[in-house]
Amino acid sequence: MSYIEMKGISYKYPVGDGKVLKDVNLSLEKGKVYALIGANGSGKTTICNLIRGFIPHFFKGDLDGEMLIEGKDIREWEMGDLAQKMGYIFQNPFTQISGTKDTVFEEIAFGLENLRVEVPVIKERVTEIIKLFGLEPLQNKDPQQLSGGQRQRVSLASVMVMDPEILIIDEPTSQLDPQATEEVFKIINIMKQKGKTIILVEHKIELIAEYADWVILVEDGKVVMEGKTKDILSDIKTVNHGVMLPQYALLGYEMRKTGRLNEIPITESEAITVFNNWIVGKEE
Amino acid sequence: MEKKNAVLSLYPTTKLLMILLFAISVFIIPNYLFGYAIFFVCLLIAAIGSVTKEFANLTIKGLFSLSVLIFVLQSFFYPGTHVLWEWSFLAITQEGVDFALGLTSKIIAVGSSLILFFRITPVKDFVYSLEVLGLSPKATYVVLSTLTIIPEMKKSSQIIMDAQKTRGVETEGSLMVRLKALLPMITPLVLSSVASTEERAMALEARGFTVNKRKTSIYSIEKTGRDSFIRVMLLVILILLIVWRVAL
Ligand SMILES: Nc1ncnc2c1ncn2[C@@H]1O[C@H](COP(=O)(O)OP(=O)(O)OP(=O)(O)O)[C@@H](O)[C@H]1O
Ligand SMILES: [Mg+2]
Repeated sequence: MSYIEMKGISYKYPVGDGKVLKDVNLSLEKGKVYALIGANGSGKTTICNLIRGFIPHFFKGDLDGEMLIEGKDIREWEMGDLAQKMGYIFQNPFTQISGTKDTVFEEIAFGLENLRVEVPVIKERVTEIIKLFGLEPLQNKDPQQLSGGQRQRVSLASVMVMDPEILIIDEPTSQLDPQATEEVFKIINIMKQKGKTIILVEHKIELIAEYADWVILVEDGKVVMEGKTKDILSDIKTVNHGVMLPQYALLGYEMRKTGRLNEIPITESEAITVFNNWIVGKEE
Repeated sequence: MEKKNAVLSLYPTTKLLMILLFAISVFIIPNYLFGYAIFFVCLLIAAIGSVTKEFANLTIKGLFSLSVLIFVLQSFFYPGTHVLWEWSFLAITQEGVDFALGLTSKIIAVGSSLILFFRITPVKDFVYSLEVLGLSPKATYVVLSTLTIIPEMKKSSQIIMDAQKTRGVETEGSLMVRLKALLPMITPLVLSSVASTEERAMALEARGFTVNKRKTSIYSIEKTGRDSFIRVMLLVILILLIVWRVAL
């Protein structure tokens, strides 16, 4: 039995014409980092909504096929159980501040209050997460007055503090500068080490090359390619589906034109080894 | 928020009981002077709570102008026979003035008590005390979030206004010009609010808002001995007022 499984999923939103997902089949294992990539409007967020159960619990529309979490159909899951099992960080950082809390500290505590965690435990866990995220300078600020990037980090912290088994993260870095982006990915990596299953939508392909175990490429509501990160991101066919390859892989293809190159690198460290070998090979 | 302040540090429901007593008292003691006196009592409490400026601002701008209007209308149009002053079909009667005095004194007493309450009680504290009393968190959420969303809507309407200004739409000048500028703004404002409401609802759901009926709260306020003392005092005052009324 797969941890998360989609069998022949087709979906159409209640408004808007045509199917947004077309015969999607996926099977996800526990404890891995999955990257969903694809052009704007290809259906990535819709897949996230489906896994989290917002489709069909929140968005009605026409849903065909089976969406299973631990073998149980999403329609049979209670919304409350899903809330504890899966953390969801939305694409838009401006709508996920609760709007009732005065400080960032209280904002992060909101989810735990809802889960009826004891007050001393809440304080401990919130303090811990604030430290992990380096949010100390913001903790007494009004959440309504944060910038987009600050909100994004607070939203991420607000969800991670609830310690869900599965994390669905929809473009966590769209508003972040390079340094904050790097930091968020380090945290995602920590979550992976803790055994969380992570479903990540991200356009920055270099980061996916670095952190994802498995890549799922979506185009026009269909899964067109999927496989180990290395296999997908070093495959030139990927560019036909509206995504770029990492710079190192493109460079690798260029170099292949001029001579033998065994492997297409996708990350910095791979590139260093592969290109070094290539130089040594040339000299011999 | 200054917590040591004698007025501000009271428990929200204590403040509410106090304000209720003020509001009820004008119906126990019908004399209009008593009603107007309540305004000064409120002013005094506002001064102790160091919110005099905000309190005075709202009462003078809002409440007083409303009361003057009501006073004028009532004294002219209330039916009566003792004419004090007359001009063509307009007449001020003694009955009209008496009625207007009574009515406006009550409006001012009740109005300034309410304004005082919201000046000395943070909404968050009030909502917290209601939740302790058993009001559902969903209901309190609606109150709290509406209060915080209003400034956000103001902000986004300003952004839309500015965007339209850069596109050459006149947004300043006569009333007609302003109204014309308002119309094209309404659609994007309403649409974006509706869309973000949907997303907000999902975001709340994602954080377990609907999982439990009762929740824990890291924010808390406590009743103190002073609250009990004030409550007893309020009760004593209420009894005295009733005695006064009966003896009158
Ligand atoms: N609430 C909705 N109602 C109707 N149609 C929708 C809704 N949300 C998305 N769609 C449509 O579904 C399709 C897929 O949208 P989705 O948001 O899943 O794309 P995405 O891959 O997340 O894109 P992006 O990279 O821009 O976030 C789009 O054509 C979009 O117009
Ligand atoms: Mg999306």
